[in-house]
Amino acid sequence: MARLPCGVYFETYDKERAYVRTKPQTVCLIIFFILLILAPFFLSVKFTSMINVMMIVMVAIVGLQITTGYAGQVNLGQSAFMGMGAFVTSSLAFNLNWPFYLAIPAGGLGAGLMGIVFGLPAYRVKGFYLALTTIAAQIIFPILIMRVPDSIFGGSMGFHLEPASFFGIMLDNETKLYYLVMPVTVIMIFFAFNLVRTRVGRAFIAIRDNDIAAEMIGISPFYYKTLAFFIGGLFAGVGGGLWAYYIRYIAVDQFTLWFSVWYIGMIIVGGLGNIFGAILGTVFIRGLEEIITSLGPYLVDIFPTVGGGAIWFAGMNVVLGGAIILFLIFEPRGLAHRWNILKTSYRIWPFPYS
Amino acid sequence: MGEFLQYTVNGALIGMLYAMIALAFNVIYRAGRILNFAQGEMVILGGFLVWWFFSFDMPLWLALLTGFGGSAVIGLLIERGIFRPMIGQPIFALVMVTIGLMILLRGLMLVIWGPAQRPFPEFFSRVPFIWGPIILNQAILWGGLISLAVFAGISLLFEKTKWGLKLTVVAEDHQVAQSLGISVKWSIAFAWAISAVLSTFASIVFLNASSLDFLASGIGLRALPVALLAGLESIWGLVLAGLIVGVGEALAGAYLDPYLGGGGMSEAFPYILMLFILLIRPQGLFGWKIIERV
Repeated sequence: MARLPCGVYFETYDKERAYVRTKPQTVCLIIFFILLILAPFFLSVKFTSMINVMMIVMVAIVGLQITTGYAGQVNLGQSAFMGMGAFVTSSLAFNLNWPFYLAIPAGGLGAGLMGIVFGLPAYRVKGFYLALTTIAAQIIFPILIMRVPDSIFGGSMGFHLEPASFFGIMLDNETKLYYLVMPVTVIMIFFAFNLVRTRVGRAFIAIRDNDIAAEMIGISPFYYKTLAFFIGGLFAGVGGGLWAYYIRYIAVDQFTLWFSVWYIGMIIVGGLGNIFGAILGTVFIRGLEEIITSLGPYLVDIFPTVGGGAIWFAGMNVVLGGAIILFLIFEPRGLAHRWNILKTSYRIWPFPYS
Repeated sequence: MGEFLQYTVNGALIGMLYAMIALAFNVIYRAGRILNFAQGEMVILGGFLVWWFFSFDMPLWLALLTGFGGSAVIGLLIERGIFRPMIGQPIFALVMVTIGLMILLRGLMLVIWGPAQRPFPEFFSRVPFIWGPIILNQAILWGGLISLAVFAGISLLFEKTKWGLKLTVVAEDHQVAQSLGISVKWSIAFAWAISAVLSTFASIVFLNASSLDFLASGIGLRALPVALLAGLESIWGLVLAGLIVGVGEALAGAYLDPYLGGGGMSEAFPYILMLFILLIRPQGLFGWKIIERV
């Protein structure tokens, strides 16, 4: 628990549990939101597109954090759930001409239902066995998409999607898309932050820490494990729906097992069991990705055997794999914990302890 | 009928290959409760080592020996560098670290050897072996037979020798093992070395005279259902599970895929089977049922 500046006292438990507790924090939050809204005006298009992709991934990662970090159910199928959301969204938009504000939530629900189906084994199997059943989701997903008639999910050709339109405005460039992606991301993250401190969130934590003990005190593991998968799937689906409108061409090979594995890596680096950690992890890993992409040509000179085509994938794997292992050995609580330490030491400076 | 036999025998032999990789997986699980997601990468790493030594104009047997030795050393290094500092961490973290290892190994293999496809040396003759109506790939045939011998050897090791019995105690409970004076650390290190050698052997059978690149590590994920179906502590159970998965996969590929159009049933089959088995018997067919207490 982060320590607060001296002289801050709470009169109710609710006030103490609040995320924004002091006036300076409120001011910072307002400034942050103003910057967030104005961001595309002073950032280049390249940077805006980077932030767009980052935020879309962030929605899925926050969902994964709820399933894996809070409820403790390892999920190696988040990318498939995201794909399910993307395909459902595009199918509804393409075949039934649904507007995006209906298609994206529907995509989220579709992915949530898929999450329930593959989360059901969680009642019987635990831990790493569960990881394997979610890998099964990842393997069955492309086959499922290919198997249904092409008119529904586009089959092997994938989908080309019209840009989302909002009261006649076509959301077809990065800046306009930013104003679709950013509010949705903010809403989803707001929802996540609040979900984890409700009864449901506490039940998730109880099940993560010891599911047998949780059952003893009247928390139904079956209900909450399934719910955890539903919520995780819902977030992934919303992320997938955003992705469908962002990229406007979706195919099954955008949602591979390898991405699910990277997503798990992001929450480990960020810190398990912490929504803010999911955000930090996504920003950190996506930032590294961008750095590797821009360093690509130099890296090819150093490692000529790899070649230009694979250098990004190779570099990303070395960096991310190394980061996961180092974090698990030296800082299992992730970047979020480091961030808290930093904040505390800033508050109590110049004293080493308070 | 001949066709059916052909598919069945071929599937059974491929199943033995899966069982071999699953054995490499189970040996590590028994020792350290580590579920090694990097198994596919370990297989390909062994393949790369053998290919690499072979490319220095070594004779075949020497390339083979150095390949086995090299992979054992890498197994020991992985244990010492990554898993020993992790002792005492929750199982969740151990699973996660193998995921990190999987990503890292794949990246390192790409950086060192590149993404190109390479011809893998021919250890077993490519001339098909013909027996009545059945035509078999010699590599898979010999691989299957050697696998059976290895299974017999490993199970003798674990059940009859003093050393192996110590490893079995470690599999049962780390604290009990430690208080009996058995070094858990060394058992885990030993398990990693054995597992790396088994993986290398599997890669030689799997890749014989075909092409090697990092995408071949998908074999690890195809072998995982075998390990789960058998139960993670079991050894002989793997043979049966390998047979079930291999034959089922081959028959699904031969008789279901043509009707579904586009294929894919044979890939999904092991996983669908695994999902059902796990729902009915979460510890697998021959796994140890562990009673959990709060």
